[in-house]
Amino acid sequence: MSAAAPKYVTFEEYCKRVPASIPFAVQQATNRFVAGRAARVAELSEWERLRQTGSDIRQHTIENMDVYLARLEDKVRAAGGYVHWAETAEDANRIVLRIATEHNVKIVVKSKSMATEEIGLNHFLGTAAIEVIETDLGEFIIQLAGTGPSHIIVPAVHLRKEEIAALFSEKLGVHAPADPTELTRIARELLRTKFLNADMGISGANFLVAETGTLVMVTNEGNGRMCATLPDLNVAVVGIDKVIPDWESLTVFLKLLARSATGQKLSTYTQFITGPRRADGEFGPKEFHLVLLDNGRSNVLKDPIGRQVFKCIRCGACANVCPVYKNVGGFAYGSFISGPIGAIFTPQMGGAHKARGLPYASTLCGACADVCPVKIPIPAILRHLRRRVAQGDAIASSTMPLAIRAAASLGSFALTRNRIYRMGTRFLPTLMSIFNRGGWISAAPYPLNRWTKSRPLPPFTAGFRKWWMNTRLR
Amino acid sequence: MVDEHALALMNRFSSMTNSVLDNIRRSLGRTVETPLGQRPGILEPRVSDSLDSEIEGFFDEIRRLSGVGQRLHPSAIDFALQTLVAEHSIRKATVWETPHLGRLGISEILGSLGVELVSPNAGKHEMALCDLGVTEADFLLPETGTLVLRSSAGKPRAVSLLPHIHLAIVRPELLRADMHQVFAEAKDSNYLVFISGPSRTADIELTVTLGVHGPKNLYVWMMEE
Amino acid sequence: MNMPRAQLFLTCLGDQFYTSTLQNMTRVLERLGVEPSFPPDQTCCGQPLFNNGFEEKTRPVALNFMRAFAKSDAPIVAPSGSCVNMVKHYYPSLFEEGTPEYELAVDIASRIYEFTEYLVNVLQVTDVGAAYSHKVTYHASCHYLRELGLKTEAKTLMNAVKGLELIELDEEETCCGFGGAFIVTYPEVSCSMMENKVKDIISSGADTVVMCEPGCLMNVAGGLHKEGAKVRAMHIIDLLASNEDPA
Repeated sequence: MSAAAPKYVTFEEYCKRVPASIPFAVQQATNRFVAGRAARVAELSEWERLRQTGSDIRQHTIENMDVYLARLEDKVRAAGGYVHWAETAEDANRIVLRIATEHNVKIVVKSKSMATEEIGLNHFLGTAAIEVIETDLGEFIIQLAGTGPSHIIVPAVHLRKEEIAALFSEKLGVHAPADPTELTRIARELLRTKFLNADMGISGANFLVAETGTLVMVTNEGNGRMCATLPDLNVAVVGIDKVIPDWESLTVFLKLLARSATGQKLSTYTQFITGPRRADGEFGPKEFHLVLLDNGRSNVLKDPIGRQVFKCIRCGACANVCPVYKNVGGFAYGSFISGPIGAIFTPQMGGAHKARGLPYASTLCGACADVCPVKIPIPAILRHLRRRVAQGDAIASSTMPLAIRAAASLGSFALTRNRIYRMGTRFLPTLMSIFNRGGWISAAPYPLNRWTKSRPLPPFTAGFRKWWMNTRLR
Repeated sequence: MVDEHALALMNRFSSMTNSVLDNIRRSLGRTVETPLGQRPGILEPRVSDSLDSEIEGFFDEIRRLSGVGQRLHPSAIDFALQTLVAEHSIRKATVWETPHLGRLGISEILGSLGVELVSPNAGKHEMALCDLGVTEADFLLPETGTLVLRSSAGKPRAVSLLPHIHLAIVRPELLRADMHQVFAEAKDSNYLVFISGPSRTADIELTVTLGVHGPKNLYVWMMEE
Repeated sequence: MNMPRAQLFLTCLGDQFYTSTLQNMTRVLERLGVEPSFPPDQTCCGQPLFNNGFEEKTRPVALNFMRAFAKSDAPIVAPSGSCVNMVKHYYPSLFEEGTPEYELAVDIASRIYEFTEYLVNVLQVTDVGAAYSHKVTYHASCHYLRELGLKTEAKTLMNAVKGLELIELDEEETCCGFGGAFIVTYPEVSCSMMENKVKDIISSGADTVVMCEPGCLMNVAGGLHKEGAKVRAMHIIDLLASNEDPA
């Protein structure tokens, strides 16, 4: 059960060797989500207005983030909770470890939290001999597998039930049949013991309501409730971008979130936690800590276009419709947050070494922007990030073939000089006819060989100009 | 509430407070004095239908979510509990200590059926052994089939979480048109939970499985006098 | 009454690869009573540069384009939704507001149309008198569909073609994997996407697949050829110029 840090490779490396089972599993799952979402959206006549409202409120929150965060801090403290500010991942890890050691914590139960995936908290606590158990079924499975999540909503979407059964048999030493119900029962029993004996619960949050200092957590399984209810000590690690102004705003996001994510009207459990427990004889933590994670976010805020990434409410709808994601799966994105939103999040967050290919990992087809519940213009942000790359910004280095980059300069030159362009138009058909085999070019020279190794090119004909001169200008 | 070491801990990291907020302000081109912008307005909340259709809609959703909902006259509660206890072979139960559930005599009836009662204030290990947890709800949302529970002493949050079966005994007057109204009335709660159906997961090949961590069975009885 | 005029924008892919489609574009427009003209100084709209972040290098290409088409105030018509989208939605953003270049970009953007858009929404023509007795399916190209919002135009024109039986794809609106430079940046991913599209087309049972985009057409046609499928990939212009009536 040790929490190894997940190993990620770059997008360009990964997509050369996508395991064959991944596109199939991912498409099966995402197609179901897409259909579910469409059905829920069709039921709600005000859907488009709701999206616009959600978008406007998120934008407003980003632009006034300091005020809402300061208010949040005051309210959490007033409710008897503790607030910690973590500038970096390392700060956050150290804060959580300190809280744990000061309370002599040995077992931690954890509810799904992307922020803790981001900072590698499990691994960090593991090195201090603290046992951290992921309790969301999907997260539990991938923790056993020793990988990161491949989808925001269903982390183990890439695994088939046979693989999960084998994993249970191997790691848990139980007889596990390849049956989802039975596998779920095994996990329930094992995790039940952990919930009851854990010293500390760690969670993330879907939203932080500044108005009252309330942490909002959405789950289907009930593990989030267990983590926030049973241990006496509770720590939430949350990105600063999760703050929202007030409960009125929350109505908008709760209506958008589950419908976009899983095609549910609401997830099974939505809990609203304001500070530690107030009543004796009640359950709930005696001590409640909120760790607010910056880790590069405040820097991203400088870019008015790029910062729109923080409008995200983590529904995963963009990944579910993305044809690139559906063919490569979540691991390709080199981060806990995958799909189109990952392609604009990770490069900006400073993961240049692993994210350099991401701004180009899209055909700009626009399907993501169409479904985003808060209308993040993902293709426009991808294009913007490519612009930052081309201008020499260190957010990422270009992964385009060298010839393409050279072609950009050459192209700009040739495309503005009409005689050169026209000369090329006359010249190319002759040149390329060398490669013509039966009406197709199936082996073109570099860089077009990257095209023709998968499918042939039609022949260069370029005869319109001459035809026009002969037939229409005569 | 604030103890010594926690205060010390807070102080240790308080220097960071300013730097994160300062960085945000610098990035946004704001200062401490910059006023808060106007928050965009939200859509008008949903409006209630007739009581009957609200109740029907509520039950439709509960059914869709694999819960069991039914209208019940108080005189039928003995029989209903008897059936439930028999169907699930319930041996241990825990019940919220509220006036309404007291008036209905839930604990007494369960006791007479041979069910052992565990105090809702018992420890988590004991409560986890219960087959049944009985609660009320503070509000109901028909559109989503949602029970809204506020927790407090006598109404602990674990009763609707640890037992395999959750029975919520509710009344029509708890129906609200939209979560908007619920929040207006309940946002000062220490702990509030929306429950929409039994615990579920679809994490393995998107196969829906009920009762992964929370209750596997959810019953909602609406008392109509 | 004045004859409607249209300036033909070939697009660079059309210019290099689709001579007969461009000839058909000319003929269909003429048949509908439009007087086409062809500004020879046009090259490319600059989208490949723009989409890959080379904004500075796009600007002179856009200027070249605008100058080529500013010599006439006639509407500009192109056989590509993607190139039209570039000019219509992004040219103004390349120049500083208030400058003559910006004014020109706004003017040019206001009078450029994708071919089917021009037919259905400007000329208000839905039946061009074509005949094609085949089972035909349709792939909705991304920028055509989502950025220009052309959801019904192509199918309206297709449905009016005599003898044509329209079969819809399961995933009509899913990208084919072309994506401009994407096809050479991530050839493996592009290929998987193309293969999904080709599978969908073949399983539809159609013998022809129609689209409104030279880029997608090159990609899908190549994929079908590689697969050995007996499905013809066709630009909608070639369909509308068709007079293949068995009767």
